[in-house]
Amino acid sequence: MLNYIGHRVLQLIPLLIAITIITFITIKLPPGDFLTTYIQQLKLSGNAVSQSQILSLQHLYGLDQPAYMQYLDWMKNILTKGDLGYSFGWNEPVSQVIGERLGLTMLISILTLIFVWVVSIPIGIYSATHQYSILDYIITFIGFIGLAVPGFLLALVLVYVVFVHTGVAITGLFSGHYQDAVWSMGKFLNMMSRIWLPVIIIGMSGTAGLIRVMRGMLLDELQKQYVITARAKGVKERKLLFKYPVRMAINPLISTIGWTLPAIISGEAIVSIVLNLPTTGPILLKALMTQDMYLAGSFVLILSVLTVIGTLLSDILLAWVDPRIRFGGVQE
Amino acid sequence: MKKFLKTAIATIFLASMALTGCGGGTTPASTTAKSTTTDTTKVTSTGYSQAPSLDGKGLPPVKDRLPVQPKLVNEEPSDLLNYTIGTYGGTLRTVTSTPNWDADVFVMDNEPLLNTPGILGSQITGNILQGYKVSPDQKTFTFTMRKGLKWSDGQPVTVQDVKFAFDDVLFNKELTPVFPAWLRSGGKVDGQPLKFDVINDYTFQISFSEPYGGFPILLSIKGWVGYTDLLKPFHFLKQYHKKYADPVVLAQEIKKAGFKKGDWVKLFQTKDVLNWDLPNPKAIGFPVLYPWMLVKKTATTEYFDRNPYYFKVDSAGNQLPYIDNIQSSMVQSMDMEVMSVLAGNVDFQRQDAALNKMPLYKENESHGYKAIMSKLHVTPTDIFLNETYKDPVWRKVVQDVRFRQALSLAMNRKDIINDIYYGFADPGIIENPAFNLDEANKLLDDMGMKKGPDGYRVGPDGKKFVIPFEVAAIAPDVVPLTELVMAQWRSLGLDVTMKTIDPTLWGTRNAANQLRATVGWVHTQLWYMGDWGQGYWGPLWNEWYTTGGKQGEKPPADVEKLYNLINQVSVSSPDEAQKAIEQVHQELGKNLWFFVPIENVKQPVIVNAKLGNVTDKGYAIGLNFSAEELYYKK
Repeated sequence: MLNYIGHRVLQLIPLLIAITIITFITIKLPPGDFLTTYIQQLKLSGNAVSQSQILSLQHLYGLDQPAYMQYLDWMKNILTKGDLGYSFGWNEPVSQVIGERLGLTMLISILTLIFVWVVSIPIGIYSATHQYSILDYIITFIGFIGLAVPGFLLALVLVYVVFVHTGVAITGLFSGHYQDAVWSMGKFLNMMSRIWLPVIIIGMSGTAGLIRVMRGMLLDELQKQYVITARAKGVKERKLLFKYPVRMAINPLISTIGWTLPAIISGEAIVSIVLNLPTTGPILLKALMTQDMYLAGSFVLILSVLTVIGTLLSDILLAWVDPRIRFGGVQE
Repeated sequence: MKKFLKTAIATIFLASMALTGCGGGTTPASTTAKSTTTDTTKVTSTGYSQAPSLDGKGLPPVKDRLPVQPKLVNEEPSDLLNYTIGTYGGTLRTVTSTPNWDADVFVMDNEPLLNTPGILGSQITGNILQGYKVSPDQKTFTFTMRKGLKWSDGQPVTVQDVKFAFDDVLFNKELTPVFPAWLRSGGKVDGQPLKFDVINDYTFQISFSEPYGGFPILLSIKGWVGYTDLLKPFHFLKQYHKKYADPVVLAQEIKKAGFKKGDWVKLFQTKDVLNWDLPNPKAIGFPVLYPWMLVKKTATTEYFDRNPYYFKVDSAGNQLPYIDNIQSSMVQSMDMEVMSVLAGNVDFQRQDAALNKMPLYKENESHGYKAIMSKLHVTPTDIFLNETYKDPVWRKVVQDVRFRQALSLAMNRKDIINDIYYGFADPGIIENPAFNLDEANKLLDDMGMKKGPDGYRVGPDGKKFVIPFEVAAIAPDVVPLTELVMAQWRSLGLDVTMKTIDPTLWGTRNAANQLRATVGWVHTQLWYMGDWGQGYWGPLWNEWYTTGGKQGEKPPADVEKLYNLINQVSVSSPDEAQKAIEQVHQELGKNLWFFVPIENVKQPVIVNAKLGNVTDKGYAIGLNFSAEELYYKK
C-alpha cells in the first residue's frame, strides 16, 4: 500500500511542473498585459497617463522582464518562500487576496455539499426503491428541471422576485452594518438568514444530479443476486437495503472527491457574481479578464494542486476499499 | 489682539477671493486686496469652526490646522449652484465594481494645484496653491503657496515639497526615465524641459523657453490632474529616496518589501501615491491634502475619513468637508451596482449611472434617493473610421473626404436622439448635421463606388466594401447607437457589420491599430482636454506625434495642421485658446476625421434625497468634483 502511495506521489511532481508552465503560458497568451488594462481603465475615466508613468509601472510590476524570467521569479518565490506573488489589481499579496475570501467560500461550499448530500441521498434511495411510483415520477421531473436550469438564471429570478416584493436587494451575505463588523451572534444570525439562498441555488443542479446517480446505482444493486439471496434468507427489508446496496451505491461519492476538493475552494463564479457574494470565484474571473497574472496563475495553481491531491485521495480510498485496484497499482 | 488680526486678515482674504472669483481669466486669486471694502462674505468674527466629530480628538485648534488664508470653496460657480451653508456629519455611500478603483470617489477627492469652477475652463483660481502670476511673454509663472497649509498628518506643506517633486523625482532619471511632454516647452515631446526655481519659502517659479499660456489650465483640470505630480510630502517620502535615506535603513526597507537588493526605485514607487491611487490600499497612512483619506479597506468596502487639516472653508468659516465619511462598497458586477442604487444603498453615483436606466431609477425613488439629470461632459458615442488601418483599399476609401461626407449626410441625427437618447441630446455642432441621402449617394457614385449585382457598393479593388464596426459596451448606449447607424449607412448600399468585443480586447486592438471602425467617447465639450479622438481615427499618426516621430507614420499636411492647432490650444492663454478652438472645430467640420453625431447628452446622477448643495445645472462631473460642499439636510 505504502509503495503504491509513494509511486503515485512521485508521479505528481512532473505533472505539477507541467501545470504551472501551461498556466503561465495561457495567461500570457492574450495580447497586452495587466498594464494595458489598467491604463485603459484610467483613460476611460478621463485620466491622462504619461509615457514616463507607463514605464515606471512596467518596471514596478516587472513587466519589462522577458516572460521566462517572470515565470522563474514566480516559481522561485513559491518554492523558496511560499510567496505566491503580488496581485496588480488588488495591490496586495496574492495569498491575502485569496485568504480574505477563503473562509466564506469554504463555508458556502461545505454547506452546499452537506445540503446536496442530505437532500439527494434519501430522495435517491426513495426514488429507487419506489421505482415508477407517482412520487418517483414527480421527483424525476423536478430533478430534470433542476439539472436543466442554470444556477445564475435562478439567482437572477430570485433576486428580482425578492426585490419587487420586499424592496430588499440581495447584495451579499450580510446586510449593511454587519458587512465589516467583527463576528458576533448578531452577525452570524444575519448571515444565516441570507446564506440559504446561495446554498440552495448553487446546490440545485448538484442535488438533481446526485438524485439521478443514487437512483441509477441503487437500481443496479437492487437487482443483484446477493440482494435476492439476502431477501430469500429473510433479512428485514430496511436492514438489507442500508447494509448492502446503499453502501455500494454511495461509492461514486468517494471517487468524485478529486473534484470536490477544488470545488470547495473555487466558489461558484457566475452565481457569486449575480448574488454579489464575496467569494473567490469572481476574483479568479476578474483576474483572468484583467491579466492580473500572478493572482490568476497562483489561483489556478492552487486549484490544480487540490485536484491532483483530491484525485490521489480518492484513488487511495478506492484502492483501500477495492483490492483489485491496489494490486494493479503495485504491478505497475 | 493677535486673534482679532488673524480673523481680520482672513476676512479680507475671503472677501477678495469671492470677488476675484467673479472676475475673469488669469487674475491671481490673492492680489486684489483693494476690494476689501465690499462685504461679500459672511465670515463670523468668531473665526473658524470644525466638525463635531473632530471634537475631543486631541487635535490642535481648527484655526491652526487651516492655512493662514484658507480657500473659500468655489468648486461650483454661483450661476450653477445656489450655495447654502451646510451642517456637519453623516456618511456618503458609493458603489463600484472594480477593485481599488471608484471613479466617483476619485473625482470627489482629487485636488488640483489650481482649479476652474464648474470645470468650465473659463476661469482659473487658486486651490492648493494660493495663486499665480504670469509674465507678459507667458513664459514664466510665479506661484504662491498657502502659508500654514498642512498635510493630513499635520506636517506643514512648504516649497521644499515642490522642490523635492521637481529636483528629486521629475528630474531624477531613475524615477522618471522620460520627462513628461506637458512639462516641456510648447507641451511637445521634443520641447525643452521646464526650469524650476525657488524664490522663497512660499513662492516658486516655473519657466519655459516658449510661451505656454495654457499651463495654468493644465494644472487645474486637464486629464483630471491632481497635485501629486508636482507636490509630494517630502518629510514622508525622503525615507525611501536614495538621496536622503540612511543607506542601511533603505536596504532594510527594500528587503522588507521583497524587492531586489538596491532597487530603491521600486520601493519609492510603491510608497509614493499618485492621485489616481487614492482609492488604493497603499494610500492608507500616506499624507494627503484631500477632503477625505482612505483609512481602512476590507474585502468589500473602503472607508474614507475626513482630513482634519483640509484647507477649504465655506463663507461662514466652517472647515470643509461637511460629510464625515465615505464608504465605497465593491460589488461583483455593474448590474449589482444598479441593484444597490434601486434599493437605496447608494448616496452618490455618477460614472456608472446610465441614461437607459432612468425609468428604473425613477420608479424606485421612494427608497430614499433622487435621480437628477445633469449634462454629460463627453460626447458619448462618436464614430471613428481608422484612417491609418493597414489595408490600401480601406485607406483609399476612408481617406477620401467625400466618403466621410457621404456617411455624415446619411446619419439621421433626429432618429438617433429620439431612439437612443429619449430626446435628451442635441445634434452635434462640429459637423453639418444635415441629413440628405440623395446627396450622399451622389458623392459615393462620384467616387466610383458602383453598386455590384448584390446591391452593395464596391471598393476600388472591385470587391464589396465592408465597414466592420468593432465596439465594446463601455457605456450602455454604444451598442444600440452602432446598430442604428449601421442601418442608416446600409441604406447607402454599404455593407456595415458590427461585432461586440470585450473592453480590454477593444483597448488592446485599438492600441495595435487593428480596429477599422469603432465607437467611443471624446471630451469634445471640454476644450482644454485636447482630446479629439486622435488615437481612434488615426492611431499611427497619433503615435508619430506623441513619440516625436520615432514611431508610427507621418500624418498628411491637413492632419498635421490640426495637431498643431490642438497644441496651440494647450499652450495659449484661455482667451487665445478659445479662438484656436474655433479653428479646431472648423477643421474638424470640414475634414470630418470623425463624427460627433450628438452632443449635450444628459447624464443621470443618483443622490441621496437629503443631500444639500446638489445642482442639476452644469456638468454632472462638476457636481462630483464639488463633493466637499455636499451635506445632509437635517
